[in-house]
Amino acid sequence: MSVDDTGRSERPTQEITVTVNGESVTAEVEPRLKLSDFLRSHLELRTVRVGCEQGVCGACTVEFDGTVAKSCMLYAVQADGREVTTVEALSEDGNLHPIQEAFHEEHALQCGFCTSGFLMATRDLLAENPDPEREEIEGALADNICRCTGYQNIYDAVETAADKLEGE
Amino acid sequence: MSEADTRAETDAEVEGEPEPEGQSFTGQGLNRVEDHRILTGRAEYVHDISPEGCLEMGLVRTTRAHAEIRDIDTSAAEAHPECALVLTGEDIAAEYNPMPCGLTEMSEWALAKEKVHFAGEPVALVVAEDRYVVEDIVDLVDVRYDGLDPVVDAVAAREDETVIHEDVGTNVPDSEELRFGDPEGAFAAADTVVEGEYSWGRISGVPLETGGAVAEYDPDADTFHIDANMQLHTLVDNTVFETLGYDAEDVRIEVPPDVGGSFGTKIAMHRYMCLTAMASQQLDGTPVKYVEDRVENLQGGDMHSSDREYTVRVAVDDDGTVRGFDFEFLDDFGAFPRYPINQVLKPLAVLTNGYDVEHVRYSYDLVLTNKTSQTAYRGFGVDPHLYALEMALDEAARELGVDPYDFRQINFIPPGSMPYTLPSKNIYDSGDYPAALERIRETVEEAEVCEGGLLDPDVVESRREAGKYRGVAYTLHIEPGVSGADWTNRQRSDRDDLSERDREDVAELPEHLRAEVLEDGTVRAYLATDSSGQGHQTLVSQLLADELGVLPSDIEVDYLDSVDAPTEYGSAASRMAVMLSGAAAGLGDRMVEQFERLAADHWGVGTAAVTYREGTVTRQDGPETLSLADLAALDTDREESLTRASYDYQHPATELEDFDEALARKLPVYPTAAFAANAPIVEVDVATGEVELLKFYSLRDCGTQLNPVIVEGQSHGGLAQGIGAALIEEFGYDDRGQPQSVTLFDYLLPSTTNVPEMVLEHSETPSPFTVTGAKGTGEGGMIDGPAAIASSINRALEPFDVVVDEIPATANRLRRQLRDQGE
Repeated sequence: MSVDDTGRSERPTQEITVTVNGESVTAEVEPRLKLSDFLRSHLELRTVRVGCEQGVCGACTVEFDGTVAKSCMLYAVQADGREVTTVEALSEDGNLHPIQEAFHEEHALQCGFCTSGFLMATRDLLAENPDPEREEIEGALADNICRCTGYQNIYDAVETAADKLEGE
Repeated sequence: MSEADTRAETDAEVEGEPEPEGQSFTGQGLNRVEDHRILTGRAEYVHDISPEGCLEMGLVRTTRAHAEIRDIDTSAAEAHPECALVLTGEDIAAEYNPMPCGLTEMSEWALAKEKVHFAGEPVALVVAEDRYVVEDIVDLVDVRYDGLDPVVDAVAAREDETVIHEDVGTNVPDSEELRFGDPEGAFAAADTVVEGEYSWGRISGVPLETGGAVAEYDPDADTFHIDANMQLHTLVDNTVFETLGYDAEDVRIEVPPDVGGSFGTKIAMHRYMCLTAMASQQLDGTPVKYVEDRVENLQGGDMHSSDREYTVRVAVDDDGTVRGFDFEFLDDFGAFPRYPINQVLKPLAVLTNGYDVEHVRYSYDLVLTNKTSQTAYRGFGVDPHLYALEMALDEAARELGVDPYDFRQINFIPPGSMPYTLPSKNIYDSGDYPAALERIRETVEEAEVCEGGLLDPDVVESRREAGKYRGVAYTLHIEPGVSGADWTNRQRSDRDDLSERDREDVAELPEHLRAEVLEDGTVRAYLATDSSGQGHQTLVSQLLADELGVLPSDIEVDYLDSVDAPTEYGSAASRMAVMLSGAAAGLGDRMVEQFERLAADHWGVGTAAVTYREGTVTRQDGPETLSLADLAALDTDREESLTRASYDYQHPATELEDFDEALARKLPVYPTAAFAANAPIVEVDVATGEVELLKFYSLRDCGTQLNPVIVEGQSHGGLAQGIGAALIEEFGYDDRGQPQSVTLFDYLLPSTTNVPEMVLEHSETPSPFTVTGAKGTGEGGMIDGPAAIASSINRALEPFDVVVDEIPATANRLRRQLRDQGE
């Protein structure tokens, strides 16, 4: 797949090659383009949500070379040669990933705008720590803001997801 | 269902056996139908909408709080090779109208004309291919100003030394004094009068998704299509079409099924919708998109909320009986008293909270300053009222030497007085407040005032020795639900005429619901309201499944845009549980009647000879049945469709004579009174003033729960917002009117580190006024959380005689109070 951004002769661009959700993508991008905007508008990965562009809310959280990162705090050019994973990679053929199932079952989302970020943060936590204590969950999710749920059901969802993944 | 099954059930009825209890989906905690598309990225928020060829808009925003615009030089911007359009206030004034404002004598332009009124007000718009280059061009617009004195302090603003709007002539464009009962008499007769001053800071909803609009003008049809994450798009669409100078049917407003939170704030989305529409029209129909960035949202997003200074007086006898209240406050509305402005009046719906007090004076000044305009936020002005009232009660209890728990119990409305008419004529439907308060106290005492508990007396004592003061207060708060519509233009009415007004003059707005049977026999319902995370689709599928005797999964729920939907109120003021219950019941009855008529016509029998049940019409004198799919097929050739129906559910207060006086006098009408008995446990570090919430106990009652999972989610989320409001959130301004909270590093939202464990219990006291017994509960937690937390802080700081006098009760403010008390 390649994405071409011609027609902006006045603007400098740079070619990058990024592995996104397992697929190699080559694109010409402006050096100032944020990774969040690259994923959203160039690759149409809509689960990447932009809530603040200040690195606070965590709605744009993705996996970046094996660790969670806020994609609004990175430029697309910084992803050159790196691997990025978004929520699009979680569900296969429309079937929910156990973490997604758990969020549904525990009513851990309302408006849903923060949800992708929480899913990615949860995935990262459970990969490191498959059976976290409540305090560890709170700590791992402290970089993500949810304005609707008051977090209680998100904690429950993380625990439910841990149980589901353990059983797999 | 097979014919055999149907016959078996019919036989059973004939034999006189009780009808098998059909499974009711309403009341069950079903998981939401909205979730799947959100979890998998198929949800389309307004940010995701980008029609072919869509350009993006950016705004030039002033950094001045108050200034005259001397000159705007757009030449450099227009010379940029990628610039598609620049418009200024003068440009739009030549073709369009000012935006409708909260008070009729005022007008506001979507781009400032002649002067700017607050830092962040847009003065020009720019359109180009993408937001990056748009921001480059925005920087090229050169605006020159002549500075004016900023009006920042709302108390001083009332002196009118500098008037912000010369055409209005004052910074206090509205005020009213209301007297209920005989407040003067009550205050004269009381043993003691206790007075306190309380301040409520400027807070708001701050949804994670900022405002956005995508507009497309159709030059051939001379119409607009606007996608926007607007709340109340069928009620306040006039703010858009009137500004554009078009009829309602020429401006189609569509709200995506998924909106990333609103909490009232996105009612005021019209500026962005108008500007993108104007830009698209100027560009001959090229679609134009705009999404606020977070700085714009926080400083100039038209979405700050109540900012009040209260003086509360309580007339009380030595035995603890409260004889009267006197509330006097000003509310800083910022630069424009925008739609909606009723936040100063809604507290009348819960005037005395849960207390039986007859004599009340209530007066307000609506003040204008050079700050961002106010709009609605969850609670809609009730939260500061309850906070101020409860603080005054805590102060009075202390002065009388009465335990605050006993003081509240003495004054509660006795359960035998329900339904209870407030002095301000709204009516509480049901509730046993004394029992609820007793219950929450028992719960906390059993769980926490014991060995190993947070309030173990030994622990409390040893923490005090370390300077950490723990406390809990038991308090109860009323959440008014299901607002009527007619009273909401009180401030635009001649108030002297209201006493002469007849009940017949009252015009309420219904809730609209429609549905049709699809070819495959499933039902598609259409909501006229918009949603922003409340789960309306799930709720309607449950309600309508019960009405039609089918499964919720047989019901799909879609949305209507502003042109297809009738003018109606929609999703605000904790209305939907009650209004959709009524609408679903009415719609279900109508559809069943039509199904039977259709089947009877088909069989050539009378309607009495057919019965609809659980998705099938049965002929009583024969074996034939018709499924919903059969009915849909039969219906295709008919002139009058009988598989489609709509229903407008009238506001429940219009059916209840007891509300006539409130309705006729345009006093706030909220026919349901949900309530919460709260007990947040706090610990205050007296050396720093910092408050830690250790655990939040709450007993909540919103009548019959339609979906307990959703109710619980609303409670959790509301309480989290209440916690933020109580302790950390605030839009600060410096004394030159410069906003201090323009990032989420300054405007602090509660995170996992601020929100403690919540221990909730739900009781159900059905409302006698509503179809299902449900009460509105969309605003609980935000309404009661701050007052509850402040009362617990008061309890913790009793040894220092501190009563929280400012919300948010930040560390520096509590330290100030502690220092003033000589700690």
